[in-house]
Amino acid sequence: MKQILPENISTYGGEVDSLFFTITLFVVLAFAISIAALIIPLFRYRYKEGRKSSRVRGIGMKQMRWVFAGMLVMALCDFYMLYAEHSTWVKMEETLPEQEDFHVVITGRQWNWIFTYPGPDNKLYTADDVIVNRMNSSLHVPAGKNIIIDIKAIDVIHSVFFKNIRLKQDAIPGRTITRWFNVTKPGKYEIACAEICGVLHSKMRSYLVVQEEDEFNRFLSELYAEKQK
Amino acid sequence: MNRTITVRPGLRDIPQGRLGMWLLIAGELVIFGAAVVSYLLMRIRYPEWGEQAQYTSTALGALNTFVLLTSSFFVVKAHKASLAKDSKNVVRFLSLTLLCGLIFLIVKGIEYSTEISHGFTLRSPGLVDSGQGVASLFWMYYYLMTGLHGLHVLAGMIAIFVVMLQVRKGKYFHRVELAGMYWHMVDLIWIFLFPLLYILK
Amino acid sequence: MNIAHHEMSFWRRYIFSTDHKVIGFQYLITGLIMAAIGGYLAYVFRYNLAFPAESIPLFGSLGPKEYNAFITSHGAIMIFWVAMPLLLAALGNLLIPTMIGTDDMAFPTLNMLSYWFFFLSAIVLLLSFFVPSGPFDGGWTLYPPLSADAYINTEPDIWKSFMTGGTLIILALALEFVSMLMGGINFLVTTINKRAKGMTLLKMPIVVWFINFAVIDFMFSVGPIIAGAFMLLLDRVAGTGFFDAYRGGDPVLFQHMFWFFGHPEVYVLLFPSLGVIAEVISTFSRKALFGYKFIIKASLIAIVLSVVVWAHHQFIAGIDPRMATFFSIGTILISIPFAGIMLSYIATLWGGNIQLKVPMMWALGFIAIFLVGGLTGLYLGSDTFDIYVHDTSFVVAHFHYTLFPITFFGFFAAFYYWFPKFTGRMYNTVLAKIHFWFTFIFFQGFAFPIFFLGLDGQHRRINDYSAFDSLMSSWHISFRQFATISAIILILSQFIFLFNLLKSLRSGKKSEENPWKANTLEWQTTSPPPHGNFVKYPQVYRDPYDYGNPDMKEDYLPQNKVI
Repeated sequence: MKQILPENISTYGGEVDSLFFTITLFVVLAFAISIAALIIPLFRYRYKEGRKSSRVRGIGMKQMRWVFAGMLVMALCDFYMLYAEHSTWVKMEETLPEQEDFHVVITGRQWNWIFTYPGPDNKLYTADDVIVNRMNSSLHVPAGKNIIIDIKAIDVIHSVFFKNIRLKQDAIPGRTITRWFNVTKPGKYEIACAEICGVLHSKMRSYLVVQEEDEFNRFLSELYAEKQK
Repeated sequence: MNRTITVRPGLRDIPQGRLGMWLLIAGELVIFGAAVVSYLLMRIRYPEWGEQAQYTSTALGALNTFVLLTSSFFVVKAHKASLAKDSKNVVRFLSLTLLCGLIFLIVKGIEYSTEISHGFTLRSPGLVDSGQGVASLFWMYYYLMTGLHGLHVLAGMIAIFVVMLQVRKGKYFHRVELAGMYWHMVDLIWIFLFPLLYILK
Repeated sequence: MNIAHHEMSFWRRYIFSTDHKVIGFQYLITGLIMAAIGGYLAYVFRYNLAFPAESIPLFGSLGPKEYNAFITSHGAIMIFWVAMPLLLAALGNLLIPTMIGTDDMAFPTLNMLSYWFFFLSAIVLLLSFFVPSGPFDGGWTLYPPLSADAYINTEPDIWKSFMTGGTLIILALALEFVSMLMGGINFLVTTINKRAKGMTLLKMPIVVWFINFAVIDFMFSVGPIIAGAFMLLLDRVAGTGFFDAYRGGDPVLFQHMFWFFGHPEVYVLLFPSLGVIAEVISTFSRKALFGYKFIIKASLIAIVLSVVVWAHHQFIAGIDPRMATFFSIGTILISIPFAGIMLSYIATLWGGNIQLKVPMMWALGFIAIFLVGGLTGLYLGSDTFDIYVHDTSFVVAHFHYTLFPITFFGFFAAFYYWFPKFTGRMYNTVLAKIHFWFTFIFFQGFAFPIFFLGLDGQHRRINDYSAFDSLMSSWHISFRQFATISAIILILSQFIFLFNLLKSLRSGKKSEENPWKANTLEWQTTSPPPHGNFVKYPQVYRDPYDYGNPDMKEDYLPQNKVI
């Protein structure tokens, strides 16, 4: 049996998924009730020659009670949903984790993602940063660490989409947008561009490679060695 | 086709044209509102625009404000004359309004040509880092807003001219009021633009 | 009265007409032709999605640039050149004067002008298919910098940068907005000023209310996009940098300007459609519309809310996350008045005397589909979950589940309801029912699988998913193919409608004055209404939904009937 949502590998992705199931519960329930209320009268009140319809016009609280009850239920579902999602929103978008383990820059251009890793000094935006700029490249990150990403764009708007992390963020020219994630499961996952960015938008794909820490360190040192050459 | 009309449908009290003009003005104000709001947001973001605003000529701007206000006065006079069906006076005051509009556009043209000769054009290139790019953005907004307003002045003048020709033939006196309302709107927008672009430095 | 006086040339009567009915038909025909073009584009790119690298019958092979151009044009055409003319302009023109009991619009010449502006805008848009650069290919939302096209700015030739798809679509949009503004002002003035004697505001049919609500929502939200389009145009042809981050401009500013209009625009389309559904449901339930005043109040709340929710289209566009929370709350709140309206419609059915005639089937289909569309909006209104599904096929399925019923179910309900009135002929009901079932079923077949593709993370506006292995599994491919085949059948089944329309116009049975036994004023004149609509202007005595009155022999009571 196929799962509805793709595999989740991030620490906060589970909360997004459970939010999905909460909303689905409301939606299915609301849909079932409304569609039943729509279909039942079609049988119960089918046209009969000479019969006169009821004169209830929805005036006053008493006649409107079912409509108001429906709206109230809707409002309660809404507010429960807003309440349930807010902590996840704060975690994903409004705040950064206190401990910052690894910081990397993702820059969108037509039509590939550029990944900038900090150099041996472990600081970004210095001369020894390593820039990987080619199509189909991969972003390597260590597993189980808080990874901060600076998202930028050079030419037009792009949108970096890690579907297994449940994270998406537009990359806007002239802005640096900072987001974070923490991925737990090593493996190779796709990164897509979700905002139309020109002719080869369809081909703008990179990989997110999640590695155990020692493996990742080996990758970094290879990267540095390559730059030395 | 045979058609017999017995009664006119119940017209409400509000004159049709006036109502339509109010709605048009409301729509226009939202357009200018959008431009003004985005200008203000940018102005807050870039305080260095104040420097650029030094180069706009407050004197000429003030002169233009005065000219437009005078023209509004003439429009009011024309409206009064139109109520008395005095086509001679209507034509006289509307021509004066047109003259004011023309002076406004000429002064605006003088301003534009001085500014362009100083190198403040629509597409002055630059980079964010040098600060010059932000400066050129001020002039883009300046030309956008004054240009859009100038087009409205022109449209208002054409409307007034057409109404004037009609009134000269003794027809459509009520249209003086409509053209006048539009002209007042053009004037009102300038009252907003003048402090934003010329005084705020 | 002298008959010869009314003899008009063919041109004055049918082309440059100032008669609201002729103008309504002009909008309707233009809208349907544009719908055919939009449908053809949809067919081409859906086919390409399902069977990539195959040659498309009736087209050929589709490259990525053309793919982008086609999805862009499809979106823009369907919203601005199909839904707007069909729902707002055509319905407004045909219904407002006849339903409020007057002869014509307040400003007939302005009305004609607004149609010709609209016609011009459609021509300008279609022209973009024939310029060297091809139609615009950056998505119908026109986001700069992609639409501001930096490399076009370096082009010194203004004419050349003018004759590009991007510039033409902006011009076409601007012309369309001007046209709809003129038309809208006309609708409002007509409704305020020209109602028949006794037609107080609260005796107006709900569809007249709703068309005017749509106009109000349009007028007060369209300003920013007109200013934004002007700025974008300058960016393209005059080399300004309003949206160029490298010169201090801000690309997100355009998104705000676009969606400040773009979200209310959905309600601009929704309201006329909801109004039609209200009329149809009340008539065929033989029962008064439930909660007339409540519906009007709820819609007013929805209109006010509609202009403060726009940024939910930009949750991932780098706006301040705290601001996003505010917009999320607003978006979710808007579901409450609409839930009230939908429930009132459903409540109208209870205790009625329901006739399942053709328009009623479309109206019920509208409610069923729109429920799905509205409820899936909850996923997108929740800012946290929107991060994940934004710009995926989930959004595509969601807005097809809202805009398709709004545009087509609303329109077809209106079409089958008022066709006998405005043409004087009846259509073939069997064909009309087949048309309904084909459209209803194959629409589900087309749009429902796309929800699941979107939930699996299939992002939008991709001509070829082959670069993404995770989106190329066998179920992905078969879902895409299923959706495409359904979409093709959906498009083909519209030929039933076309055939029915043409045949009924030529040889349909003559229709009675009031075939549905409805109360509103347009049914109380001949079919089709004469020039001037009413031989004798009606006097209105009661509200439009007086069905099932126990004191009367008949179960309906026209608004103008003297007891």
